[in-house]
Amino acid sequence: MTSRRFISSLTTPTRSAMPCVMLASLAALTLLLPNRALAHDIPNDVTVQAFVKPAGQRLELLVRVPLKAMRDVDFPERGPGYLDLNRVDAYLRDAATLWISDAIELYEGDSRLPKPHVVETRVSLESDKSFASYEAAFAHFTGAKLPSDTQVYWNQAMLDVLFEYPIRSEHSEFSIHPGLARLGLRVVTALTFLPSTGVTRAFEFIGDPGLVWLDPRWHQAVLRFVDLGFLHILSGTDHLLFLFCLVIPFRRFRALIPVVTAFTIAHSITLIASAYNLAPDSLWFPPLIETLIAISIVYMALENIVGGIGVQRRWMIAFGFGLVHGFGFSFALRQTLQFAGSHLLTSLLSFNVGVELGQLLVLLLLIPALEIFFRFAVAERMGTIILSALVAHTAWHWMIDRGERLIQFRFEWPQPNAALLATLMHWLLVMLILGALMWCVRKYWPLKFPARQPSAPDPLGMRPVQVHAVGHGLETETGGEI
Amino acid sequence: MKRNLYIGLGFSAVLIALGVGSTVLERRAAVEAAGVQAPRFEVDPMWPKPLPNHWLLGMTIGVSVDAQDHIWIIHRGGSLERMETYAAANPPASECCAAAPPVLEFDEEGNLIGHWGGPGQGYDWPVSNHGITVDYKGNVWIGGNGRGEQVTPGTQAAALNEQQPGSGRFNDNMVLKFTQDGKFLMQIGHPGQSKGSNDLENLKGPAKLFVDQAANELYVADGYGNHRVIVFDAETGKYKRHWGAYGHKPDDISPGPYNPDAPLAQQFRNPVHCAELANDGLLYVCDRSNDRIQVFKKDGTFVKEAIIAKRTLGDGSVWDIAFSKDPQQKYIFLADGSNEKVYIMLRDTLEILTSFGDGGRQPGEFYAVHSIAADSKGNIFTTETYRGQRVQKFVYKGMAPVTKKDQGVVWPKTAKGS
Repeated sequence: MTSRRFISSLTTPTRSAMPCVMLASLAALTLLLPNRALAHDIPNDVTVQAFVKPAGQRLELLVRVPLKAMRDVDFPERGPGYLDLNRVDAYLRDAATLWISDAIELYEGDSRLPKPHVVETRVSLESDKSFASYEAAFAHFTGAKLPSDTQVYWNQAMLDVLFEYPIRSEHSEFSIHPGLARLGLRVVTALTFLPSTGVTRAFEFIGDPGLVWLDPRWHQAVLRFVDLGFLHILSGTDHLLFLFCLVIPFRRFRALIPVVTAFTIAHSITLIASAYNLAPDSLWFPPLIETLIAISIVYMALENIVGGIGVQRRWMIAFGFGLVHGFGFSFALRQTLQFAGSHLLTSLLSFNVGVELGQLLVLLLLIPALEIFFRFAVAERMGTIILSALVAHTAWHWMIDRGERLIQFRFEWPQPNAALLATLMHWLLVMLILGALMWCVRKYWPLKFPARQPSAPDPLGMRPVQVHAVGHGLETETGGEI
Repeated sequence: MKRNLYIGLGFSAVLIALGVGSTVLERRAAVEAAGVQAPRFEVDPMWPKPLPNHWLLGMTIGVSVDAQDHIWIIHRGGSLERMETYAAANPPASECCAAAPPVLEFDEEGNLIGHWGGPGQGYDWPVSNHGITVDYKGNVWIGGNGRGEQVTPGTQAAALNEQQPGSGRFNDNMVLKFTQDGKFLMQIGHPGQSKGSNDLENLKGPAKLFVDQAANELYVADGYGNHRVIVFDAETGKYKRHWGAYGHKPDDISPGPYNPDAPLAQQFRNPVHCAELANDGLLYVCDRSNDRIQVFKKDGTFVKEAIIAKRTLGDGSVWDIAFSKDPQQKYIFLADGSNEKVYIMLRDTLEILTSFGDGGRQPGEFYAVHSIAADSKGNIFTTETYRGQRVQKFVYKGMAPVTKKDQGVVWPKTAKGS
């Protein structure tokens, strides 16, 4: 029989200092006893299940974690490594504090809740289904423990803990920062919030999601999603390159407004449609969109190189490709929309606002930089060609890489059935309405915005065809109507 | 002005027609959906992720999903060709490749997160690995179907064929129990010791195992040499009971080749290839070469049977089964490594609703689909033996009306609800 004593038997000066003392002592022990495997491996893949339920003056937190994630805790064993269930209780409580409650920050409004009380712990088998619902999980803590003669290998068991936090009211707003990412290399947390209103909110996230408002108010959702949209556009190289190509020839606000607005409206449409499950959910769809995004950049760069692009044409292309980029944004949002609470549309719009703010920032930096570049480094036309060629080169490789991934899917025509036809009709309806809107915009927009590409004298001697708005139609300089 | 009015009216009419049409079709789709439905799957061509260390899979003859939705497979490194293991030669003949360790653990994303296995001290590793099961306590069980000489620690099992695993007497007359990190816990039976289908201590080419949580009993499909299901205490390894087809006492009289027009065989043919216990206490046994599933109570009382692809000769049609993970386990997924498809069946009636897959080596196709398992999200995983030698994931895409008895290769579709 093996019996390895757990580190928490060391004196604990204060509750908050306890983990530091434990870890320091453990480190010292590890150094002194290099040949003994005190520390366990970091698990590759850890799933945490949790329920949060405020009730009266207390908040219950029920958590299930794999015992193997409680590293550096040498649980008492018997036989070939089976848990000694008669002696394990104290170890469980200490592990629960050290690895779970010390890592979790819970807030009532803006006030952080004090350290919780460990009400009960349990050892469960991996196959135990108690955490399928809150009721079953709660009953599990009041029910019988695993029989002490159960032979379960120590790192194949689960640790279940019921924590209790004192709160002012069950009607308060609660938020959580579940810092459980340290439990493994990849930690998936499935968290269910059961507020007093009766509306259950389920979350599933990988790693550390930051502070999560469990039932966010609209302004909290707005803040989170504006922030997300802002950061997403700044970190999305392909979206930025597209934007870059979009604006190289149009660096004045009057020219930019219709182009950027068209892009924004278009990606908002598909982003919102995706959030309401109108996009295909097949495996081939993300690679298709990623390939199309790369194609959109290549196309835009080539169009810049060819030259002679009018605002009229560019905003329409921006609109078309914006639809594609909106699907791309939706992939980034897929895992995050769960934090929207009951404010799905608000959150989507906020994400868009964040994206626009990010775009605005980029434009504010980009346009003066381009102006300086064209004024002092290279003539505009040549500069446009060089910059666009560089972007086209990068995007071309993306297009090839992503296309190769896409062609691994073999497409089949779907079975023509009622559901398919209904979906097609929905999309046709949307497209018709969009077409009508575009027609209206095209009809009336040229009255306000000159549809001409501003350009410097052509250093290569090339003379792009200039497009002017004339009345309600469009005319080229040679007089032919488009 | 008049022209604009006509355009406006025409446009409005089209919009109204589309709106009404889609509403009508949606209702019709709802009626269609209320008919016969079955789970729909799409192959995930990107799963699993590439193995590290130039590792290759050989005949992949077992798959199991644990309570954490980790996917466990077992394969036969010894079945790889010499040129496939040049990196493991002494001295290495090239940079690539080498056999992966026998037992591999993947997470849901397809990342390899654990590996172990092979001969070791204190137990008899099979000459030819066969079947893997992770039980309700997370322990890992494996069987074997090899003939010939016992492999010793530090050696690699010989190249083996699924149908003729080695030559000579059956060596693999045991099952092994390990922890998830490969620590040996228990062995039932000993190599080369089998005395036939009524031997209470040894097995003979055990193909697959299942542990019943309620009674903590181990059910063994036994197997390639015996003609029975045998039950042991999963903790002590003590014998409990055994039986043959229809609950008869098994015998080892050769039944000869399977003849689909002959009366139903009264004994299991070799191999008895799976024994899976459902939540309601019914045991489903794969009588592979007899092309049938037989269903029993836990005590061996025969309940019913179903013949699958009756005219399948040779290796037979009923290779392995998995239950859907709903509490009622409404569906059975049956791997048929001869006809190269997976059948989706109703568990209560054993009626085939539909099937998917076809022969071939592209994703979604099969070559000798040998084993099958389902995870808690409804996805299913298959492994292939012979020269198939891989594991595949089929993503659950929800329920869909049954429109075809044979769906063919389930590549990603181009529209929802198709």
